[in-house]
Amino acid sequence: MDPSPDPTSGQDSIRSTPLSRMAALAGAGASVGMNYLKYYGKRAVSSQNPENSAAARTALDEANASRIYGTFSQLKGGPLKLAQMLSMDDQLLPAAYAAEFSKAQYSAPPLSWPLVRRTIEREFRQPVEALFQQFTPQAAHGASIGQVHRAVLDGQPVAVKVQYPGVAESLASDLRVVKPVALQMLGLREADVAHYFKEVEARLTEETNYTMELRRSQELAAACAGLKNVRFPAFHPTHCSARVLTMEWIDGEPLDRFADGPASQAERNAIGQALWDFYDYQVHTLLLFHADPHPGNFLVRENQLWVLDFGCTRAITREFHERQFALLDPAVLVDPVAFPAALRALDILLPEDSPPVAEKILALARQSIGLLARPFLSATFDFADPAFMKAIYDMGEANRKDKSLRQLRGARGPAESVYLNRAFFGIYSLLHRLRAEVVIHPVSRSRQAAALEALP
Amino acid sequence: MEQSSEIMAAPAPALRQRIFEAYLSHLQREGHPPASVYRFCEGGGFTEREFFGEFASLEAVESAWWSGTLERVTASVEAGSEWSSFSARHRMLAFLFAFAEASLDFRSLLLLRLQGRGVLTNPAEFAGFETQFLAFAQRLLDHGRASGEIASRGPLGKLYPQAAYRLFRSVIDFHLRDASPRYERTDAFIEKSTSVLFDLIGKQVLDSGFDLIRFLLPKWTNRA
Repeated sequence: MDPSPDPTSGQDSIRSTPLSRMAALAGAGASVGMNYLKYYGKRAVSSQNPENSAAARTALDEANASRIYGTFSQLKGGPLKLAQMLSMDDQLLPAAYAAEFSKAQYSAPPLSWPLVRRTIEREFRQPVEALFQQFTPQAAHGASIGQVHRAVLDGQPVAVKVQYPGVAESLASDLRVVKPVALQMLGLREADVAHYFKEVEARLTEETNYTMELRRSQELAAACAGLKNVRFPAFHPTHCSARVLTMEWIDGEPLDRFADGPASQAERNAIGQALWDFYDYQVHTLLLFHADPHPGNFLVRENQLWVLDFGCTRAITREFHERQFALLDPAVLVDPVAFPAALRALDILLPEDSPPVAEKILALARQSIGLLARPFLSATFDFADPAFMKAIYDMGEANRKDKSLRQLRGARGPAESVYLNRAFFGIYSLLHRLRAEVVIHPVSRSRQAAALEALP
Repeated sequence: MEQSSEIMAAPAPALRQRIFEAYLSHLQREGHPPASVYRFCEGGGFTEREFFGEFASLEAVESAWWSGTLERVTASVEAGSEWSSFSARHRMLAFLFAFAEASLDFRSLLLLRLQGRGVLTNPAEFAGFETQFLAFAQRLLDHGRASGEIASRGPLGKLYPQAAYRLFRSVIDFHLRDASPRYERTDAFIEKSTSVLFDLIGKQVLDSGFDLIRFLLPKWTNRA
């Protein structure tokens, strides 16, 4: 036996041709089918007892989720990112899928060391040894379209993010191939997720541009410099290129591990507050936000929140911001005129909707906005409250199961809302996991009031 | 290494080197080899006696140049500081990446000789190149066998160097057709295709597959 395990053995690297990708996905599809057979088998036995049946269904979702996740992570690149994105929208995927897919950040299989070396040396026209005093050949962790290595530069530990070669080129064809199979496997309708695919493709293309990521990271870090307990790693622009990013190494604890660990309530609140303030400032003041509030993108060190990975940011227009946040006013929610008007302004309610359809959408929007806006409406909000998250999950689950709703869904609402919703759903989940109680700044509320007045 | 190349580049380069340079410059400029040794010598400023003292034919010049070029790449990777710690798979990857990089110096020659040609046939000028590669692949595979990375499958194992050569030619073929910026897709292709080769010759799918078939075979034959 080879004493040092080959890090690439058992790794398949990005599958190349559309055909082999289809084959891999079909493999997952077939085994999902098998799991369903097992489920129906179990259900036939235990159908008298509804609780058993629910448990079997959960077990089924978990087994399928981990199988599908395995397939997506083999394919890396676009499909993996897509899985992550879908997992952020709880209305689209059962909880078990969402949990499995959120692992994506940590466990994408690594690139071989010769390829990492080759990529770095091609980017900088110098041997790795001349660029860094030390460089660890094994990846410290994976990212959706690259992987991170630990290295030493000028005596300081740095993180070097290396992009999978060819990923930018194969993105569009990946998504085209994966889409129909993914829809089939996950039981989604194309119209429901068309706007996702469009947004995913646009963001992914941006994400492959590390030069842009470097610029944005530096701009956002400078703009957010005044925020308490929010920190950003420093970049080394001389060691950055379109395919490689070098930044300060942060020895922190990933946010989800911190949340599940033994931190005190005061520590949890401080980190939760930092997270809230960071998004509050970005969304309401900068109108540009870090659109990937994935636990792997945040580290906790010495009671400060470190924000990593600015590949995915989204700018919103002032106009969209005003329309969107006008909805958070409870007075608007119950107003029979202003509320439909606000939904119409956002294209959630369409002119061609028949009265019963419009009624259904109004009721649904009133319920979901009433629920999702709750944190904004108080001076402090305790995200530890299980009732709040459970209500969100239950609503998502009920909507997901509502067949008549599926007919309505399609591409409603502006594309910007995909990422805004994803960001807020992401931070609600993170804050709940942190069990943090957060002070809601009057800034947010007064801004909403101002936004409301600006509404036509 | 560097010292010897400096000697080569001295005011009066060695005869062999002058023949290579004259031949390659003719080939690149004209798109075909010189018509005869006589004309070649006339243009190159050396005698036929001098030419035949070094090479038996014009074809031999090119063959020697290709194998010499490949040898420089294999020698440079084998001299690398990490080589001894690399698995056979990593050695193959390191070699292919180094070759892809080095080939940027003679891409037009590769295009001239290999463009549009299937990976299964070898131009006559590549005879030495192939021999050189097979010897390198044999060393690499022996290392893999010794470490247990590569399965020993009796007579089947004799095909491995040839399989590695086809992989190498596929990589060159892909590289020549690659239009991506800085040939990034070639890098991805190298990583993926090498994985496939080593998964096939590694102790994975095939052996477990054979094991299963061996296990099932008596049952099937009994039934028949």
